Amino acid sequence: MSIKFKFSIVAISLSLLVLNACRKYDPAYVSETEEWFSGGAQTFFDETITGFDHIFNGLSPAEELAHEIGDKAFDQTFVTAPAPLNSGLGPIYNNVSCVSCHVNDGRGKPPVNGEALSSMLFRLSIPGVNPHGGPNPVPGFGGQLQPRAIAGKSGEADVVISYSTINGTYGDGTPYVLRQPVYTLSNPYTSLPSDVMLSPRVAPPVFGLGLLEAISEYDIIKYADPSDADGDGISGKANRVWDVMSRSFKLGRFGWKAGQPSLIQQSAGAYNEDMGVTNFIFPMESSFDQPQYDQLNDDVELSDSLLHAVAFYMQTLGVPARRDVDVPEVKEGKRLFNQIQCASCHIARHVTASDMAFPSRSNQKIFPYTDLLLHDMGPGLADNRPEADANGYEWRTPALWGIGLTRKINGHEYFLHDGRARNMTEAILWHGGEAESSKEKFRNLSASERQAVLKFLESL
Amino acid sequence: MKPFYYLAILLVFFGSACRPNEAEGPRENYQQVILNELSFNLFLTSYSTLENRSETLLNTIKSYAANPTQNGLDLCRANWRATREVWENSEAWLFGPVSTESIDPRIDTWPVDFIRLDSVLNSNATFSNAYINSLEESLKGFHPMEYLLFGKNGNKSVSEFDARQMAYLVALAENLKQLCSELHTAWSPQVGKYVDELTLTGPLKLYPNKLSAYEEITNALIGICDEVANGKINDVFINLDSMGEESPFAKNSITDFTNNIKGVQMVYLGPDPSGTTGLVDFVRTFNLSLDARIKQKINTAISALGQITDPFGRAIFTQPIQVQNAVDAINDLKTELETGLLPLIQVHVK
Repeated sequence: MSIKFKFSIVAISLSLLVLNACRKYDPAYVSETEEWFSGGAQTFFDETITGFDHIFNGLSPAEELAHEIGDKAFDQTFVTAPAPLNSGLGPIYNNVSCVSCHVNDGRGKPPVNGEALSSMLFRLSIPGVNPHGGPNPVPGFGGQLQPRAIAGKSGEADVVISYSTINGTYGDGTPYVLRQPVYTLSNPYTSLPSDVMLSPRVAPPVFGLGLLEAISEYDIIKYADPSDADGDGISGKANRVWDVMSRSFKLGRFGWKAGQPSLIQQSAGAYNEDMGVTNFIFPMESSFDQPQYDQLNDDVELSDSLLHAVAFYMQTLGVPARRDVDVPEVKEGKRLFNQIQCASCHIARHVTASDMAFPSRSNQKIFPYTDLLLHDMGPGLADNRPEADANGYEWRTPALWGIGLTRKINGHEYFLHDGRARNMTEAILWHGGEAESSKEKFRNLSASERQAVLKFLESL
Repeated sequence: MKPFYYLAILLVFFGSACRPNEAEGPRENYQQVILNELSFNLFLTSYSTLENRSETLLNTIKSYAANPTQNGLDLCRANWRATREVWENSEAWLFGPVSTESIDPRIDTWPVDFIRLDSVLNSNATFSNAYINSLEESLKGFHPMEYLLFGKNGNKSVSEFDARQMAYLVALAENLKQLCSELHTAWSPQVGKYVDELTLTGPLKLYPNKLSAYEEITNALIGICDEVANGKINDVFINLDSMGEESPFAKNSITDFTNNIKGVQMVYLGPDPSGTTGLVDFVRTFNLSLDARIKQKINTAISALGQITDPFGRAIFTQPIQVQNAVDAINDLKTELETGLLPLIQVHVK
């Protein structure tokens, strides 16, 4: 081999090395391999009924114990006080345990075939705001309807749900039918104001929330465009809500209207309002100024450590891995999902903030498919009830990860805030407001293209 | 033909023989046979048996309510235990409709809401299946029935039953029967079709392949071992708090735990260990020592529970070594299922 040839080889190798070294790091780059790992390092390859119930990897033994204590507390059934075990249910309430609504850590549903109202509740308010800018509670009812009560007390009212049908047609002429819910309050224990506003909510899934909590506020706000400055028809607005523990306003992240700033406040609120179990964040019975109030000197009914354990349990629930990422129809569905701009709000990828105090959820590349911001979803979905900065048309973009396992893990496919959609297609077809254009594009896809979009969603 | 060609043909032949079997071969077919056997002849059959026993329980409670005698009460208690036995076995396959339709909490919630129960019994309400359906989970299912049949100390006499208790018991038994029927129907082929889903022939395609069905079954086995060792037993044991004990009135807790682990054994050995098919047949195809370990650990767990001779609520104080041994043995079994059985399935089932 000549000296000249050897020199050429060395020169070419060095050039390649330098060129590669100088290539810019692209933080938005997503490899196909990464797409399987919806929850980053906290992704679990489990398609069974336990798919939403996996403890984070990398926890210390003490953290694992806290998670397990929280897991058990999540399942505990509360009973009428005084009782030696799980005392403090009610006096008025929606359900008896966390798991009764979040079955298998998943999604609730509206009552079906004459069932009682179980994993769905109704928020109430009247015009105006509370001292912290939140919903104005209804005198005698508070901020949430509790239809159930312990012995000797009255539930606040019953809700009758009926549906009317709305006929529609896809661009290719194929007909479809949606159902529009109508809610009627009956048997109120006392008269309700005529201007009461009602907001139906089914229980959302609780897995992966710790990762959503770990996204930095900056990384959420950067997608906000409340006045639609870029003119793409999609705004995205942050909710600012009252944080009870820090006594300050914070970014709302959790709940259908992003009305809660943290998982511990979300959990404490659910214990208090949903089960009537008082705790250090919400120490006053939800029935305090009502005739149902129990007058017992037993508050707080949930220990501080148990509340922290339940919040920690939710903070450390992992995310199911995607399925069929490499199937051509799924890839095509993803392409269409992006093309029709679903991904403008259902933002696929986020990176959680660096957090030395909570390394298991620090700096994780995750794929929740949400921007955690509020969007006007049009009059069809509007509850016409404001919640802090969210108006009556706005809803927070829900995460889509794990949605394809809903049928298996929760036994149903009722979607949207009130479960009116009986499958994913109906959920898409209900999109309006800022999402009207995307809905229309979906409606005008061919049958096989629509099927590809659904296959993609089922793979999440 | 030149020797070179013979060599080439031989190489192609051996090369093909060593290639992984991509098509459905006898081994894959047998995995389907095991899945069908467990689904139809263990899971579905167990819910049929549960329904039948709950009906027998209902009939004996009705007879006892009409004619309260000690023999009648003994029969009710025996049938409560018999129904509970199948239920506890079936907790080893606690997936599908029992979970997604929230049948489990309506059948088996602890604790009982005693204050509410007293209030209900003292009310003027007409007790019926519909009335029980409208009540909370803590007022229906096995445990309120157990409380009323056995009494707080397990020695309730016939004379302590009043008409309201009798009427409530009948309504509870009707409700239990209805829930067991719902469960059986939800699994039945051509009706609820869950058995079709699990055997990969259902319309919803809940399980896209055998692996997903095998994983469901195995995760349930791991789940019940965890629940028994670290929940049902250890929560009560480490807190020395007998209030958390399930089935305290019938003093049936150790039997419940044992029946849970026997449920694991049924899945592993098959519905009838003497001849039918279970996960054992899959494991033995690949790993005889794993098979021996799983069998031994199931037996150890069952016999460790058998060493607890006092009622569980007392044994946490009087027999702590035996209780700890049982926890350890069940956790040992759980670990074997997690680290031995599940990975074997994930490698060999497609």
